[in-house]
Amino acid sequence: MVRTARANCSSWRIIFVLLFVLAALFTLPVAASPQQKNSKEELLVLPGEIGRSGGRLVVSLRAEPKTLNPLNAPDISSREVIGAMQADLVHINRATLSTEPALAKSWKISPDGLQYTLVLRRGLKFSDGSPMDADDVQFTFRVYLDEKVHAPQRALLIFDGKPISLQKVDSQTIVFQVPKPYAVAERMFDGCAILPRHLLEKPYKEGKIAQLGALTTAPNQWAGLGPFRLKEYVAGQRLALERNPYYWKTDTKGNRLPYLDELVFLFVPSADAQVLRFQSGETDVISRLAAENFSVLSRQQKDYTMVDAGPGLEYNFLFFNLSDPTEKTPADIVQRQKWFRDVKFRQAVSSAVDREAIVRLVYQGRGAALWGLVTPGNRRWADEKLPHPPRSVERARELVKEAGFSWGAAGNGDSWLQDSGGKPVEFSIITQSSSAERSKMAALIQDDLKQLGMRVQVVPLESRSLLDRVTETKEYDACVLGAASTDADPNVDINVWLSSGGLHLWNPSQTHPATPWEAEIDRLFNAQMYARTFEERKKLYDRAQEILWENQPMIFLASPDILTGAKKSVGNFRPAVLEPYVLWNVEQLYLRNEAVNATR
Amino acid sequence: MMHYLLRRSVHAVFLLIGVSLLAFAFTVLAPGNYFDEMRLNPQITPETIAALRAQYELNQPLPIRYVHWVSSVLHGNMGFSFAYNTPVAPLLLVRARNTLLLTVTAMLLAWGIALPLGIWSAERFGRLSDRLVSWGTAALLVIPDLALALGLLVIAVKMGRFPIGGMVSLNFENLSLAGKLRDLGFHMALPVTALVLSVLPLLVEHVRAAVAEVLGAPFLLAAEGHGIPRRTLLYRYALPAAANPLISLFGFSMGTLLSGSLLVEVVMSWPGVGPFLLEAILARDIYVVIGGVLLSTLFLVGGNFLADLLLYWADPRIRTESNA
Repeated sequence: MVRTARANCSSWRIIFVLLFVLAALFTLPVAASPQQKNSKEELLVLPGEIGRSGGRLVVSLRAEPKTLNPLNAPDISSREVIGAMQADLVHINRATLSTEPALAKSWKISPDGLQYTLVLRRGLKFSDGSPMDADDVQFTFRVYLDEKVHAPQRALLIFDGKPISLQKVDSQTIVFQVPKPYAVAERMFDGCAILPRHLLEKPYKEGKIAQLGALTTAPNQWAGLGPFRLKEYVAGQRLALERNPYYWKTDTKGNRLPYLDELVFLFVPSADAQVLRFQSGETDVISRLAAENFSVLSRQQKDYTMVDAGPGLEYNFLFFNLSDPTEKTPADIVQRQKWFRDVKFRQAVSSAVDREAIVRLVYQGRGAALWGLVTPGNRRWADEKLPHPPRSVERARELVKEAGFSWGAAGNGDSWLQDSGGKPVEFSIITQSSSAERSKMAALIQDDLKQLGMRVQVVPLESRSLLDRVTETKEYDACVLGAASTDADPNVDINVWLSSGGLHLWNPSQTHPATPWEAEIDRLFNAQMYARTFEERKKLYDRAQEILWENQPMIFLASPDILTGAKKSVGNFRPAVLEPYVLWNVEQLYLRNEAVNATR
Repeated sequence: MMHYLLRRSVHAVFLLIGVSLLAFAFTVLAPGNYFDEMRLNPQITPETIAALRAQYELNQPLPIRYVHWVSSVLHGNMGFSFAYNTPVAPLLLVRARNTLLLTVTAMLLAWGIALPLGIWSAERFGRLSDRLVSWGTAALLVIPDLALALGLLVIAVKMGRFPIGGMVSLNFENLSLAGKLRDLGFHMALPVTALVLSVLPLLVEHVRAAVAEVLGAPFLLAAEGHGIPRRTLLYRYALPAAANPLISLFGFSMGTLLSGSLLVEVVMSWPGVGPFLLEAILARDIYVVIGGVLLSTLFLVGGNFLADLLLYWADPRIRTESNA
């Protein structure tokens, strides 16, 4: 009797336990915290050092970000912050410079190269917990392509004057149609952050979407798919982001990324103050360092490591004013343009410029001399056949002599170069007063050309005044300027290469190519854009680089190294040569010793 | 009194209109505009830049833009920032508050030191102690503000006691009230010191000169002959008599409250108007620049107004003149 009762009791206990387990199994997915992996989620597993969760990373920004809205963020600081809060379908890995799956787990290109079918990961959620699907993608690209929004991403989505189109197949699949087979079209997805339709569709319909994303936005009114989400903004002081608990990447052990709890951007308006704050331990990582500051920090390094990531994608160059004169162009500039238009004159200047001295004196050896637009940091696209002749004043002298120039004696015993009409070769080089490096380059060029008998004045100008002269009034002789490619692929520099481009600085926005060699560059560049294989594209692009070298409309000078530093306690610190240099893998950065960080 | 106040107010309004016109003309006519820098971004097409210029009325004639801006000022927006895509007034006011905290503290401290030091020095006019003060102020005067601020920063890095920049610590919100005040004080120490050291020589020299001039006056010699104690003589009779130029200087120093600390703020990362205006000037965010200039003018006008009232109260001659 007792045994039966005991048996009954244990049966009930088993049934009760089974019911409990079943109930737990049903309720678990609902009650599970976002930190835990949901079986319906397709998370991206990142290889790399396993970090420890928690802690706060502090970074300084030279300027305050202006917006959180990816639709109107032209400044570096805003892009850096947005980069930590948003994600794209396909991403360019800043370490390998190749594309890799991001929100889209895979993509397939149709045999004719006109269709890109992207499949989204399952279980994606915005940082406010709302699900993300193909409707959000459709909405995003409708906004980017809308002319009234003026999004910079629109230019990436227009091919040969025609926009891309897209069609939703199901909630996970979207087909993108490109008007023409386009080489590496998947790269266009990098930088096109997917927008939250549930938050932005209404303001978009009301025509107010560009006004959204002010830094004062309430954290619950802004969401993204990046590793961090908005926590707090203090005007003029800092912007704090917190961990996005719904982020879609894990490490190889299945820990959901990012490791850090908080990412704080401090606004530090001067480069020297940034260095001092890094030195004193108030910030954890530093980038965009000048060579002088990098040397000082390298000498004094105690609890931080300085890393020279090698030459980046910035190229500095000298160019002459080859634009067509108008009625307003001063007569003396028109007169000097006759010299500048002579290719032998430009080649002579190129030959007389000491690029190695520029690297040594301007970048303290932390840079690379340049003979073409593609920097050594972009190994895949640099043309190895491009000549790298050392500086030769003798060769420069021969070239100007062949161009009909001669030397006349000056009163003080020096000899000065003069043209066939006896006019002394004298011109000015304008440069940005805000860039100490470029001002130094112009001064070194002035000295180099003096040895050739040219009298050069260096005129530092405020940046916008300089651009106004170069692109609007065209009242200048020559200019030292710099630019940085935003991707390793040549297509991003289309406005520099094409004669119709606004960044074809020596003679911008031409209606028809002014010279046969510019027409040939246009043809080669357009052909490489639509060539299907890398080898074919490389061959065409190499030839375009060679024509540029032969004609020297831009005399390339040097490319600086990407100089960075981080506290030794920061794990997974691997600076890249493409922006954002130190935060490109922010989801993997972690703090080895949280105690150090917490004492601040 | 009312007539006097009314006259000064009308002057102030005309001054503000004049300054706004000049600031608008100089800023707008400077070569280049905010959207020029976008030309160097290969992703942004010339068509987009042209559309943005049109959207922000950069293609409109100057008088129309001025009228729109004045209307915006009257609505309390002070124009629209191209960079932040929001009205200027809220952006400027939150930073002006931080600047005022810094400069008012520095100004009070500087006057608090300058008055007794200047009087003390004037009393010993020509003696070694007076000369030492003069040499000290001259030495401070020749050191550029930038060198002063950077020097203080270097000392702070070496000492490791003071924060290198910013206004508060990252954990400010978690501190008690006493902790918050201490934290704020620590952050203010360096910029306030830099500001005090930069204005102190001028103030000390003015106080010294004004008091020294009065000390030789016959009425003070007579007072001294009547056996009035030296301390009472200095603070009760000499200082009020020397007050006129000092009150004018005080009014002027009010005008520099917003603009006087620009450099120190930039070097020491103080989140005030300085770094904000500098960035706006370089970026040609013109309505922010004009807003900053107008706010500074407002302070100058306010300072002069206050000085006029103080002079009216302190000097019976002005009261008689204005009532006449």
